[in-house]
Amino acid sequence: MTTTSTPMRSFAQAASAEEIVVPSRVVQIDGLVALKIIKHCKECMPALVTGQLLGLDIGSILEVTNCFPFPSRGGEEEDEVEADGANYQLEMMRCLREVNVDNNTVGWYQSTYMGSFQTVELIETFLNYQENIKRCVCIIYDPLRSGQGVLALKALKLSDSFMELYRTQVFIGEKLREKNMTWKDIFEEIPVKISNSVLVSALMTELESDAPASQCDFDRLVLSTNPFMEKNLEFLIECMDDLSMEQQKFQYYYRNLSRQQVQQQSWLQKRRAENAARRLSGEELLPEEDPSNPIFKTLPEPSRLDSYLITNQIANYCGQVNGFAGQSLSKMYLMDAFHQD
Amino acid sequence: MESRFWTHQVSSDTESDEDDHSEVEEEAPIGGEGGAGGAGSKYLTQANLSDSDESDEKQRVVRSAKDKRFEEMASTTEQMKNQMKINDWVQLQESFDRLNKQLEKVIRVTESDTAPRLYIKALVILEDFLTEALANKEAKKKMSSSNAKALNYMKQKLKKNNKLYEVEIEKFRANPESEEDEEGEDDDDEDLDSGGDFSDEEPVTIAGGYSDSDEEGEEGEEDGEGGWETKRSKKDSMMDKQFKRDPSEISWDMVDKKLKEIIAARGRKGTDRAEQVEQLSYLARVAKTPAQKLEVMVHVVSAQFDVNPSLNTHMPIPVWKKCVQNVMIILDILAQYPNIIMDETSDVEMENETQKGADHDGPIHVWGNVVAFLERVDDELFKSLQCIDPHTKDYVERLRDEPLFMVLAQNVQRYVERSSDMKAAARVALRCVEHVYYKPQEVYEAMRKLAEIQARPDAAATETEAAADGDDDFEEEGKEVKLPGEVKGPPSFVVTPEIVPRRPSFPDLSRLLMDQLVSTIYKHGDERTKARAMLCDIYHHAISEEFHTARDLLLMSHLQDSVQHMDISTQILFNRAMAQLGLCAFRASLINEAHGCLSELYAGGRVKELLAQGVSQSRYHEKNPEQEKLERRRQMPFHMHINLELLEAVHLICAMLLEVPNMAANAHDIKRKVISKPFRRLLDINERQTFTGPPENVRDHVMAATRALGKGAWQKAVEVIQGLDVWKLLTRREFVLEMLKSKIQEEALRTYLFTYSSFYDSLSLDQLITMFELPEAHVHSIVSKMMIAEELHASWDQPTRSIVTHDVEPSRLQALAAQFAEKLTVLVESNERAFDARTGGGGLEGMSMGKRNKEGQDYANAAAGRRGGGDFSGGNRDRQGGYSGFNSGGGRSNYGGGRGGQNRGGRDNAGGSSYYRDQRSNQVGARNSNVGYQSTRYQDAYSSVGRTPYQIGSAASTGANRGAQADTSGRMVSLTHGGTRPSARF
Repeated sequence: MTTTSTPMRSFAQAASAEEIVVPSRVVQIDGLVALKIIKHCKECMPALVTGQLLGLDIGSILEVTNCFPFPSRGGEEEDEVEADGANYQLEMMRCLREVNVDNNTVGWYQSTYMGSFQTVELIETFLNYQENIKRCVCIIYDPLRSGQGVLALKALKLSDSFMELYRTQVFIGEKLREKNMTWKDIFEEIPVKISNSVLVSALMTELESDAPASQCDFDRLVLSTNPFMEKNLEFLIECMDDLSMEQQKFQYYYRNLSRQQVQQQSWLQKRRAENAARRLSGEELLPEEDPSNPIFKTLPEPSRLDSYLITNQIANYCGQVNGFAGQSLSKMYLMDAFHQD
Repeated sequence: MESRFWTHQVSSDTESDEDDHSEVEEEAPIGGEGGAGGAGSKYLTQANLSDSDESDEKQRVVRSAKDKRFEEMASTTEQMKNQMKINDWVQLQESFDRLNKQLEKVIRVTESDTAPRLYIKALVILEDFLTEALANKEAKKKMSSSNAKALNYMKQKLKKNNKLYEVEIEKFRANPESEEDEEGEDDDDEDLDSGGDFSDEEPVTIAGGYSDSDEEGEEGEEDGEGGWETKRSKKDSMMDKQFKRDPSEISWDMVDKKLKEIIAARGRKGTDRAEQVEQLSYLARVAKTPAQKLEVMVHVVSAQFDVNPSLNTHMPIPVWKKCVQNVMIILDILAQYPNIIMDETSDVEMENETQKGADHDGPIHVWGNVVAFLERVDDELFKSLQCIDPHTKDYVERLRDEPLFMVLAQNVQRYVERSSDMKAAARVALRCVEHVYYKPQEVYEAMRKLAEIQARPDAAATETEAAADGDDDFEEEGKEVKLPGEVKGPPSFVVTPEIVPRRPSFPDLSRLLMDQLVSTIYKHGDERTKARAMLCDIYHHAISEEFHTARDLLLMSHLQDSVQHMDISTQILFNRAMAQLGLCAFRASLINEAHGCLSELYAGGRVKELLAQGVSQSRYHEKNPEQEKLERRRQMPFHMHINLELLEAVHLICAMLLEVPNMAANAHDIKRKVISKPFRRLLDINERQTFTGPPENVRDHVMAATRALGKGAWQKAVEVIQGLDVWKLLTRREFVLEMLKSKIQEEALRTYLFTYSSFYDSLSLDQLITMFELPEAHVHSIVSKMMIAEELHASWDQPTRSIVTHDVEPSRLQALAAQFAEKLTVLVESNERAFDARTGGGGLEGMSMGKRNKEGQDYANAAAGRRGGGDFSGGNRDRQGGYSGFNSGGGRSNYGGGRGGQNRGGRDNAGGSSYYRDQRSNQVGARNSNVGYQSTRYQDAYSSVGRTPYQIGSAASTGANRGAQADTSGRMVSLTHGGTRPSARF
């Protein structure tokens, strides 16, 4: 493997990359890493798991050359688990450094279930990583979708503008408009490229069977559509519920707001009338603004973050359904044709 | 009047023998009438003058038993007077104490709480004397020490004592001379008293004005004690005298005059009603001409109705019986003398009409209304049955009087038919009908038998009965007949032979009687009478198992529509008829019909009230006593009740038989189609119970059966249902139970198929036959029916004798998609609301509007989706959504345009432009899906109809022009938005 050569090159390039900010990049994943991720995620399938990505950041390419899984969290006390997790991570890094393997953290991977990953937690974690590593990435693997013969591997990062906004923690409509940010602009997907070293490629060619189709190809031809669609719909329904809830929050807010405005108006009118009377009697005018008055306290606008995320999620599900339906239809036609023959 | 006597006695301190007195007076009883009238009136004025205020106290100062006390008191007073003269205060003091003691005794004896006038008088005198003595200081000084002491004591004591009697003393002082007056006046009185027997005989009636209500009560008491006896004896003796007297001396004039007097007293306070009846019946005996007798009898009957003053209690039964006899006599007279015409229009004042003798040819008009009497008699019978405790023997006894009433009614009917007053005949017929309609043939038979038994010893029995009841009526008549020599008018005037039959004639079948009566009513009755007769008819048909006739009658008469506008008692009758109809349908194994009849009755949970079979307590609105009284008056007598348990059992069983398969059919959303709400509620309650014990009441039984039936355990259901007690009330019990069993089997089969058919690929017919123990043809027909009605998605496979089911249940994915669509609508709706809130001020008001509109679209979508049923339906659907949005939007903008146009052109234009855009895009959609288009159009027409009034309402409520305008514009925008959105999204 090219383990020894890569760090040398990457160090040099990394140093130079720090000066030039390259906006779009490619995540280049080692074949072995991809397999490790897949293995880990698939083995613990119903549970969602995470792991650390190690690699190098070279210019516009982020190389992921190694990874290790985090121990899956049992149902034990959280503090302990967290402390254990952190210790394990440090220990692991130390060990890896000792055996002289890449131990530069570039992000983490996690498994997901039908693409339901757009959560606040993800954002939080990402920002945590971001603090230390300028260019971190999150790789999402969906084992269920992979069962259909697709490699559901995704590399995500948060958009810069969103991160900026998130740091201020204000997600009110005005700010969002100002930044010209829509729900699409939260996450950015980075293209994933899988690379193998020459040796591995050679080995693969050696190992390749004579069969014209692989298991993966067969998977692709599975005709069972219902479970997937059902799951998607279920998630969609859930999302709709959440979204409705968010909407209710807004309605409540607007109702309060309009009520407050009416109150303010009436208060102002009263104050003006009073002032007019005072002017007539030659007294000092009262100020037209009264910050101490509770009706002038601005009502906090509910955060838009959740609805943005939910919308994202919905878009994700819709995309999945869309894609799946297209594939399924063509499969059906295919089958139909076979039947006719 | 009485009081007057007593006053006079008090003041004179002599006890005149009143009885002797009156006896003497009786010498010239009626003969002196002419003078007595005038004298009486003179006397009256005097009495009023002198008595008015003091009568209260004086009235009972001296009564034979109390005389002694009064005498004592009087003597003490005398003593005191003497002592005053000699200024002996010591003695005076003693006398005063004694007087007080005596007062207590007197009060105890008289049982009144006011001090006698005598005492007050003494007090007054004493007080005057005391003030005089106190004023005279010199005399005071001269007094001996003991005397002075006594004076002081007296002063204090009297002051204290007099405070108690302040009012009386005041009164006395204000009117001290009344006593003196009396002395002179009393003599006059005595003269007057002896002048006419009337003043003595009817003191109460004539001087009725003087007494007030509480005195009346007291008087009543006294009557019980002693006064009444003397009076009664007086009266009797008077009667005796009259009887002894030559009847020839009684002239038509005398009777007429007296009659008028009695009638004048009618209804006044203090008139003894029972006595009036007696007097009148006496008069009837001595009446001169048939017409007069008739007239008097009419008044006797009215007076008898008066005997019971309260509306809530019934007439005493003996009085009722007598009353019936009297009405019979009236009918006798009317039958005997066809020239006598009785109607309400004849002038009461018309003098001397009744003087015309029996030989008079030409019509004689007498005032009166037999039909009204009959109705009143019926009411009283009804009322007495309401009041009497139905579990006593009295009630049964009372029920035996029904044939008596029927006789009367039949006679009256014959009479009115003779006088060709068909309206009245219809009324009478209705009364008869109302006594017959609720009787099944068996009960009717029993009544007929009873009537026959009553009639057989009839000749003798009724005669004697009548003789006994009629208060010597016949005796008297007989007496007079015995004296044929004395001619005082036609002898027949007194003897009224029993012309009208005294026994009822019932046809063999109650149906015949009903038909007979009802046809009269249909021919001649007014609206209400006809309606009631119709209801009775329906009821009767229902209890005689003729469901279809009854139903046809009900439907043809359109009574269901008009009954709401009728009086409450007719409504009750309607309810009763419906209940009976339901029971009839049930017996005829028409479950659906039975449920239809009964469900309305049970909808409100006020069955008791609706059938007037008891007052149900309502938790939510308290009834005031007035309403309660009214309701009590409407109650049905016990023997007419419809058994509520049976009714409830039938209702619930019907509901169960319909509802259990229904629930099984709509297992997905139970709320969709509810057949019987009360049943569902009961089931809910039952299911919520943590522990269900063995069934106790009807509900428990049915609920237990329901649960068993739902599980398919029909044997258990049958067992539970047949275990009900109420079935023994049915005549055809075996048949009904058998019917129930087969119904339950059928419904169990249906339920089973609904519930489990989706789990089978095929079902064997034989298996079903053995499972539900139904004949093959039956199972076959049920299953086929279900297939035809698309309740069961299956088909027959004849060779293998099995049912092959088709899986058409929506898959999970479809269900989810439906759910998702639902959620989406919610979201869209709230989105719109949010948008409204942003754009228009009135957004919140428009909320419900938008919602309604959305719903309309939904239905349209759903309808289209159901029809399309392919991949394309999705596409169609959006367009329809858009289209309907456009349509309503357009309608709305037209509407708002009028107002919005003048106020704010710019805004409206914006709305308008989007409207056109929508139109264009939607036209395409419309062309694409014709079916959907129609359905949406319908939908829109519907929703716009519903909407317009609302809009007007909201506009009116916002009031301010600005607000209204903002409102409409906001909504309009929202609608166009709704129109564009779906097409944009897909």
